Amino acid sequence: METNELLEPFERMLAKLFPPSRVREIDSSAEWQDELAEVEASGFLDILAPEANGGAGLPFSAAIALFAALGRHAAPLGIGRAMLERAGYGEAHSANSELVMLSAMMAGAGDRLLAMTTAYANERVQFGKPIGRQQAVQQNLAVMAEHCVAVRLTVELAGDGSGPPDGLRAALAKSVASTAVPLIANIAHSVHGAIGISAEYDLQLFTRRLHAWRAEQGSESRHHRSLGKSLLAGDAKSVDWLRAEIFDEIA
Amino acid sequence: MFDNLTLARIPDGDDDLRQLARKLAAEAVAEMPLDRRARSWSGFDADFSRKLGAAGLLGLTLPKQYGGGERGPFARFVVVEELLAAGAPVAAHWIADRQSAPLILNYGTEAQREFYLPRICRGEALFCIGMSEPGSGSDLASVRTRAERTASGWRVNGQKIWTSNSLASDYMIALVRTSGTSEDRHKGLSQLIVDLKTPGVTIRPIEDLAGDAHFSEVFFEDVELPLDALIGEEGQGWQQVTAELAFERSGPERIYSSVVLLDGWLAHLRAVGRSDDATAALVGSMIARMAALRAMSIACTARLAAGESPVVEASLVKDLGTAFEQDLPLAIADDLASHPEEPVSDELRRTLEYITLVAPSFSLRGGTREILRGIIARGMGLR
Repeated sequence: METNELLEPFERMLAKLFPPSRVREIDSSAEWQDELAEVEASGFLDILAPEANGGAGLPFSAAIALFAALGRHAAPLGIGRAMLERAGYGEAHSANSELVMLSAMMAGAGDRLLAMTTAYANERVQFGKPIGRQQAVQQNLAVMAEHCVAVRLTVELAGDGSGPPDGLRAALAKSVASTAVPLIANIAHSVHGAIGISAEYDLQLFTRRLHAWRAEQGSESRHHRSLGKSLLAGDAKSVDWLRAEIFDEIA
Repeated sequence: MFDNLTLARIPDGDDDLRQLARKLAAEAVAEMPLDRRARSWSGFDADFSRKLGAAGLLGLTLPKQYGGGERGPFARFVVVEELLAAGAPVAAHWIADRQSAPLILNYGTEAQREFYLPRICRGEALFCIGMSEPGSGSDLASVRTRAERTASGWRVNGQKIWTSNSLASDYMIALVRTSGTSEDRHKGLSQLIVDLKTPGVTIRPIEDLAGDAHFSEVFFEDVELPLDALIGEEGQGWQQVTAELAFERSGPERIYSSVVLLDGWLAHLRAVGRSDDATAALVGSMIARMAALRAMSIACTARLAAGESPVVEASLVKDLGTAFEQDLPLAIADDLASHPEEPVSDELRRTLEYITLVAPSFSLRGGTREILRGIIARGMGLR
């Protein structure tokens, strides 16, 4: 099955189940069993589960776009976790896949913020023109876009494969995603100005999550440490190390 | 946003080229100290370039009928990555291989292709870029060097500046005004191939802050060129130069300018046995950025391979890539200076000093940071 065929109905379901008003309630500790039951009925929780267990047995890479969709809709982390649990990857691999799942959700939330912020910059008029025509604002949005693309591609790289990701690639994805959080959240807020600080405006739903997910399962320095220790432990040059350990180009 | 830039893999099948490039690069740098290897881009060695040509490592994206390898952008990515990782002296063939050859292939006449391309593939025709002028840096459309039609061809007057390797090059592809005035902006510009041995061309080297003289001022005083010096269409220079810049901006070279220094630092850390948490985190932060950039650069190469001209995507990679290249020497300088008890080789110190001095140029050459961000913003639908 193509990822896109999965993504569209999944996104439709998330949009219906988790509108911003509902996200706020869940953020204030409301139970969400009804929503969970509906996601369960949709079959999406079993996409990674082995076929022998009645799952779809899809490769890990097929779930990346769905995890990103969770982030884009500020949907509960528990949905992604349930998908991973049923995949039955075993302890070490579960930790790695959770890191990549979190990173994918951060990529999704980042993309949502980028779209919101770009749209806002084109609408908000100051000094007689949309602020998106100010070079200073444009330059910041360009930097935000660069980081969003870097996070997304690193997540795709880490999640590329049929099985769960290995430790180094998981550390890579989480470190790149966590590193980008302050920059992405700060630019989103600075372009939005005061409205972005208000509780009723949706921006905070996503920046709040980015900061929380940045810390979840270790922020950038922790994962940088793993990458650095591995690189320093051998004698490979940087490009060779990347090709062997991260890009899987050397058998 | 930028959803067309998705994960891509270097296809299998170019590994033979990688091994060959690796071997030739290792031979070329065997006797070179680290600080000379760090000059990779400006390291001029025409013999080495001819050797690469003879080995079939130049013109990899060009059709075989013109002496090319017909292997596509990924083959070039692989070879360039190996050359830069080793710090091989690539300056002699760099511009011709990267952008002049694709330009001539795309816009040249059959006669021009046959005349220039086989020699570029052999590493025998060396090119430089004639874009910047004293009054035209980022505002490239304001160039004032003029070419007027004469009975037999073109007469060129004006001046280019910051032209890398022009003194040692055979040809310059110059962006010139062939009609109208600077106020006409993008209209009336054309590209001419200037044989730099033509009378009236004067080249004066400019010393850079590191003591090197790789770039120059080039003066044109009533330089008479034949009609077929025009490449592409008269008046289409702006469109052509934009396409050329996509080639210039999208390659792996926008990640690896400081890679020789990075590897020198890693060797130092291993030699002194320092791998504490803080050091490992710093090393990891750098390699993580390099990994993300490599994924982006490969994704961009896939767009080139699909026949697109990924102008905006290339700008994303270049802006983020040069920021990484510039942060590396700063981080390494701080790291070494914070461990004064460790012996640091003179070679590594000289390399660090060199990269520190020239690093500001990384986000100037090939389009400044601010210009690239403007291109990205337009690609996002701003303005």
